[in-house]
Amino acid sequence: MSKITKEELDSMAKQPKKEDKDWIKVGMSSCGIAAGAEEVFKTLTEEVKKRNIKVAIKKCGCAGMCSVEPLVEVNVEGMPQVTYGKVNKDVAIQILDDHIHSHRLVNDHIYDIQAKKPNG
Amino acid sequence: MDRNIVYIKDTGILQPDRTKDVYAAFLNGLRDRGMQDSVMAVRVADIGAYNQGVVIKVLPDTTYYNVKDADINRIVDSIKEGKAVQGLAARKEPKQLRIVLRNCGVVDPDNIDDYLARDGYQALKKVLFDLKTPEKTIDEIKKSGLRGRGGAGYPTWMKWNFAKQMVSDQKYVICNGDEGDPGAYMDRSVLEGDPYSVVEGMMIAGFSVGATMGYFYIRAEYPLAVDRVQNAIDRCYERGLLGKNILGSNFNFGLEIRLGAGAFVCGEETALIASIEGRRGTPHPRPPYPSVKGLWEKPTVINNVETLANVPYIILKGGDVFARVGTATSKGTKVFALTGKIKNSGLVEVPMGTTIREIVFDVGGGIFNNKAIKAIQTGGPSGGVIPKDFLNTPVDYENLQKLGSIMGSGGMIVMDEDDCMVDIARFYQRFCFEESCGKCSPCRIGTAQMLNTLSKIAEGMGELSDLDNLRRISQAMQKAALCGLGQTAPNPVVSTLRYYQDEYEVHIINKKCPSKKCRNLLSYKIIPEKCKRCSVCMMNCEAKAITGNKDDGYVINMDKCVRCGKCFEVCKFKAVSKE
Repeated sequence: MSKITKEELDSMAKQPKKEDKDWIKVGMSSCGIAAGAEEVFKTLTEEVKKRNIKVAIKKCGCAGMCSVEPLVEVNVEGMPQVTYGKVNKDVAIQILDDHIHSHRLVNDHIYDIQAKKPNG
Repeated sequence: MDRNIVYIKDTGILQPDRTKDVYAAFLNGLRDRGMQDSVMAVRVADIGAYNQGVVIKVLPDTTYYNVKDADINRIVDSIKEGKAVQGLAARKEPKQLRIVLRNCGVVDPDNIDDYLARDGYQALKKVLFDLKTPEKTIDEIKKSGLRGRGGAGYPTWMKWNFAKQMVSDQKYVICNGDEGDPGAYMDRSVLEGDPYSVVEGMMIAGFSVGATMGYFYIRAEYPLAVDRVQNAIDRCYERGLLGKNILGSNFNFGLEIRLGAGAFVCGEETALIASIEGRRGTPHPRPPYPSVKGLWEKPTVINNVETLANVPYIILKGGDVFARVGTATSKGTKVFALTGKIKNSGLVEVPMGTTIREIVFDVGGGIFNNKAIKAIQTGGPSGGVIPKDFLNTPVDYENLQKLGSIMGSGGMIVMDEDDCMVDIARFYQRFCFEESCGKCSPCRIGTAQMLNTLSKIAEGMGELSDLDNLRRISQAMQKAALCGLGQTAPNPVVSTLRYYQDEYEVHIINKKCPSKKCRNLLSYKIIPEKCKRCSVCMMNCEAKAITGNKDDGYVINMDKCVRCGKCFEVCKFKAVSKE
């Protein structure tokens, strides 16, 4: 691993923050893991590979809504950024089918939608 | 593809849930106008409003509360026209503000590049190359008005300044991640979700006081937090953000983790230091304070996880920006672990000065099962209960103290009408009794005596003089205990006595528990008029206290009854009474 220099930090601060490409984030704090986030993470990773979907599966910490864990946040082009709660294996697959493939939101599991314009 | 998004949710408490009907009606409305491709309607699981009937939200910011069926078409039309329906729409201000949790749930806690992309280490850079001196750094913290989030609320800049002024060949910084309050898990979540912010906060603290070494003291019960912090420390060493000549400056700083072995008292700073030194984790009297004589007798700054997580934000945005949030004496935000009988339990972060009612009802969604709220417990065993009459109190250090509770680390336990205050006091007293380190007698003996007395009351053998005894022991402990934990251990008892003395008296005089919680004071009876003679209660009674048959009905023999409440739970016809 290369050392980080002051100059690198300088250039990072100046650069406009580039939008990440398509990603799915799974909350993997204790609250998420206790609710079954590991299985969701595994399912998503396997299915994305199997179907050859170009989307990064990431993990993150607690987003605050512990009572509706496991939480899965999805950001793909052409769709708003959506946080799904109470996600199990089946819902995870539904997210891939509906949200990512057919561009339809998965009803009844939505806990938050970031009001960003599609393609923005 | 630029589609409008609309969410729909019935937030009413009356059954049945109308979400699906409204959703169908809405879709019909869209189809009638040929808008089904330009508007995406979704049923959401949570819409951020509670008890407001059917709520329809048109992104980005138009919300309709209490929508009637007749309004649906008007709303559909308004979307076509691109403006809100006059008189129907309401704007909703977001109640939460995320400063400490700014990266939690956003960054991958194991990935340093994720953190760097979110302004990571920009604050450290600012400290090393723009502010350049500890004085200026501490000055920013002073301007921010940041106070310790571990509970006592001591101004952070003063702590740092004391340690900075000490002359010593070696100084230390300690991050207190020994979170032991029942119902609190803010620190764990921050360490698990955003370890790099805390690491950066530690480095800035280290630079400010002239320390070259820092320790994370984390509970061993938090293995995931330990893993993630260890990974963060390792990555920082690899990338030259820890070690010698950080970012090419002459600042050297190292970090290590020490595991707490699960004693509540080890969260107290002098006990924590003893524990890191390898001694038994017991407190000693202060002064000298750790900022004068701390770890291995060297000046040491101890800050809570949440305090440190605030530091990079303050440095980067400026102390005065931070100070704009909050109240006159308490600046910034506070993270609460909202638990208990609340609909949306979880981590919430609100500006100081937000009222308890807003936290419980607007952010937390109100009480589970639509019961009535009774009290809020804050501050863990060192805090107290706040009755529902004070729900409109803005949360800050002084206000909570006035009510006989404290901010504490930020546990907030919501209690409803089913919670018995004698039982709550007994629960906390048992915790303190079990966790007392035993070094000083006021705490060791006081907690035991109080627990005995509370048990006696809960079991129906209390006398009125017990209440005076409880008060007397409390006062003795508050005055004479060695450390903060012993001094505050009676707080749950004192505050429940202050607000709910009548409840204690009912336990003592009438031998009844108004909340029907204290087992020994309950009696169960079958109401013959309601009983359908299904025998479910008898089949479920493990103590065989229920006898009878289908013809004569059933009776509970209270001599045999162990008061487990099973018959009360299983009876579908509410034919078992509990008193």
